[in-house]
Amino acid sequence: MSRLVVRNLKKKFNSVWALRGFNLTLDPGEIFVLLGPNGAGKTTTLKLITGLLRPTEGEIFIEGTDLRKDPIKAKSHIGYVPDEPFIYNKLTGREFINFVASIYKVSRVDYETRLAGLLKTFDIGEWVDELSESYSHGMKQRVIMCQLLLHNPELILIDEPLVGLDPKTSKTVRELFIKLKEEGKTLFVSTHTLSFAREVATKIGIISQGELKFIGDINELSRISGKKDIEDIYLKLSNANDGVHR
Amino acid sequence: MSDFWLMLQARARMFNASVRSLSAVRTASFVFVIACFVGGAYYVFFRVFGYLTTVEVIGPALLDRVIEMALFVFFIMLLFSNVITSFSTFYNNRELDFLFSLPVPPTSIYLTKLLENCLYASWATLTIAFPLIVAYGITTGAPALYYPLSILSVLIYMVIPAAVASTLIALILRVFPKLGPREVIMISLALILGLTYLYVRINNPNLLKIFETENEQMLLLFAAQLTTVGGIYVPSTWLSNIIKGFNGNTTVTVFNFLLLSFVSASSVTVAFLVAKTCYVRSWLSSGEHTSKESKRRSLLWKPQRQTARAIFLKDLLIFVREPTQWVQLSIFLILLVVYVMSLRRTPIFFTFPLWRTVVAFANFAYISFVLATLGVRFIFPTMSLERAGIWAIVSSPLSFRKILLTKYFFSLTTAVIIIEFLLISANLFIKVERGLYFVMPVIGLFVAAALVSINLGLGSKFPHFSEDNPSRIAAGTGGIIAALISITYVAISILLLATPAYNYLSHTFMARPVNYLLVYAGFALFIAVSICAIFIPLRIGITSLERRDY
Repeated sequence: MSRLVVRNLKKKFNSVWALRGFNLTLDPGEIFVLLGPNGAGKTTTLKLITGLLRPTEGEIFIEGTDLRKDPIKAKSHIGYVPDEPFIYNKLTGREFINFVASIYKVSRVDYETRLAGLLKTFDIGEWVDELSESYSHGMKQRVIMCQLLLHNPELILIDEPLVGLDPKTSKTVRELFIKLKEEGKTLFVSTHTLSFAREVATKIGIISQGELKFIGDINELSRISGKKDIEDIYLKLSNANDGVHR
Repeated sequence: MSDFWLMLQARARMFNASVRSLSAVRTASFVFVIACFVGGAYYVFFRVFGYLTTVEVIGPALLDRVIEMALFVFFIMLLFSNVITSFSTFYNNRELDFLFSLPVPPTSIYLTKLLENCLYASWATLTIAFPLIVAYGITTGAPALYYPLSILSVLIYMVIPAAVASTLIALILRVFPKLGPREVIMISLALILGLTYLYVRINNPNLLKIFETENEQMLLLFAAQLTTVGGIYVPSTWLSNIIKGFNGNTTVTVFNFLLLSFVSASSVTVAFLVAKTCYVRSWLSSGEHTSKESKRRSLLWKPQRQTARAIFLKDLLIFVREPTQWVQLSIFLILLVVYVMSLRRTPIFFTFPLWRTVVAFANFAYISFVLATLGVRFIFPTMSLERAGIWAIVSSPLSFRKILLTKYFFSLTTAVIIIEFLLISANLFIKVERGLYFVMPVIGLFVAAALVSINLGLGSKFPHFSEDNPSRIAAGTGGIIAALISITYVAISILLLATPAYNYLSHTFMARPVNYLLVYAGFALFIAVSICAIFIPLRIGITSLERRDY
């Protein structure tokens, strides 16, 4: 069974189509990277899959469960990291992690040990017990990554994972994504960082003006665009008016 | 100074844009609600003042005392609200990072923020002050010049608490740079409370006494002793002298107007000088403050087995750590407790059982209206305050029904504790008839359940996820609609309960037969209206949350 199936997904804001017929199927162990310029519809797509936006048309199945018909069951399989990592200002990082862990009913067996391990992985120091109002963008991002891995979702959706992270944490995140893929998790990542896409993606999508222009692996991208460098490929395909390949 | 005008223009443009973005229906409903509120306040003041002018001997003196007392209370309330909002306006404000990065003198930033804080902290008091002044002018037949000059005086008057509050906070932060917002606001409020108490105690101790006599001579003496409620050194006295001076003593009006203007200008000058020397340092030190919470003492130091409990603990922690929330609630509660305690010693009426019962019903109505206000201020913003973490909740396997019901029971528990404490203790002090001891708390339960639902449901229907200040959320269009519906519900409930109450009174004290049909119909309709008010807003709230985009 596919982990994520998206069929003819459309979203209209007032009279503007933000997404026009998005189709995608992801299986366990895949990392799908969605590339596109600002305002192309990347965040809209992710928000639709997480249930933060209601589709105008189309269907979303997560682990075979229709998101519209049984959102609670469907959402129990996902973990989401937004592009703007908001945390309640008056909670500490630890309290936020514990709050989300309570919602996902994370097992309390060895909880402290697992949390300590993740805090170490993301280089989260004693500041985890300070109110998050004093955190930087990167610190919040690390706390959110930490809570995400604690409840161990099957499908991970991340919007701009590297924004605000220092080089060391960026490297950790890349390595972690590859490890998660090897464990059979599915990752759906939206990003502007082309080198990241080249390094980790098993499937790449290029979206522009709400339309998925291309979907395939890096070799297919290179063949279709006639370019070798990821930046050239991206620029050529994101500006293309035709050539939608599914 | 040109920077100051530039920033002011930018603010005016932003305000203009936000007003233009409102739909015609929203604007009309907003204007309608404000007009109803101001009109209602005017009507009440006009009737009370009109009545006082007809009371022989003591009436006119009492009218003057009421004006002085109201303006004195406004002054203290303005000080409180300016202190509460100052920290978030002058220090804990994301816009300041941007403003301080600009080549703009800090004093210009300070003056812009002072004006912003003054308007923001004073507008609610002004909506009460204006109808009061107009009602007083019409009752006493004041000349046409009275209205513009009095209103101008009020505007000059409200600058003083704004300047005092910002100076106080800047100085505290300068002296104790490591203090956090909680401590700074606590110290400021404690200082204001302590100084006010001392001042009133030294200047006018009679103000703190409860008056107990039916003797006319004693009444006159008491009224005379209350002359100048706040004393001659507080701005409220000067403002009341300006207002009262129009009835014959122009010199008094002119002198007090000049005095008020001078002190107002001086307070801004002092605030400006203090800001010039320490605003930047105070702002920098406030940014260095980090609140480290003890891991083991935290209520959320480990994951909770029940989701509802986790939501409850999260809300509780956020509430306790947000000074603007608990400080305002504490002030409300202290005022309510003082009110209930004062019922213990209202002697003239309490010798008559009939009056005791009437006072008990009036008290119930008053407490219900207060709970409606508390609901709009503290329960309405609850869902909007999820703004920072709404993505975590919506993308999680948690239904909106569960979120809203958890919040509902948390708020309901608090509301029930408040209303039952106030009703039961007030009834004990008033010594009501035995039956009412049991009936009123039951009615109170329905009222609390309905008011919580109206505010939570409409707060979910009209959330304000871009705003993180609960006072501003409550002051928005949705908050005003919730206030209007809450007050309408309380008014309908009182009207429906008036029939059984009248039957009870006429049967108990006038030995008239009871019309049981009317009594049962009154209670049944009250219960039906309450059940609708409990279930419909919650349903609307859940549906709205499920159908919106985040």
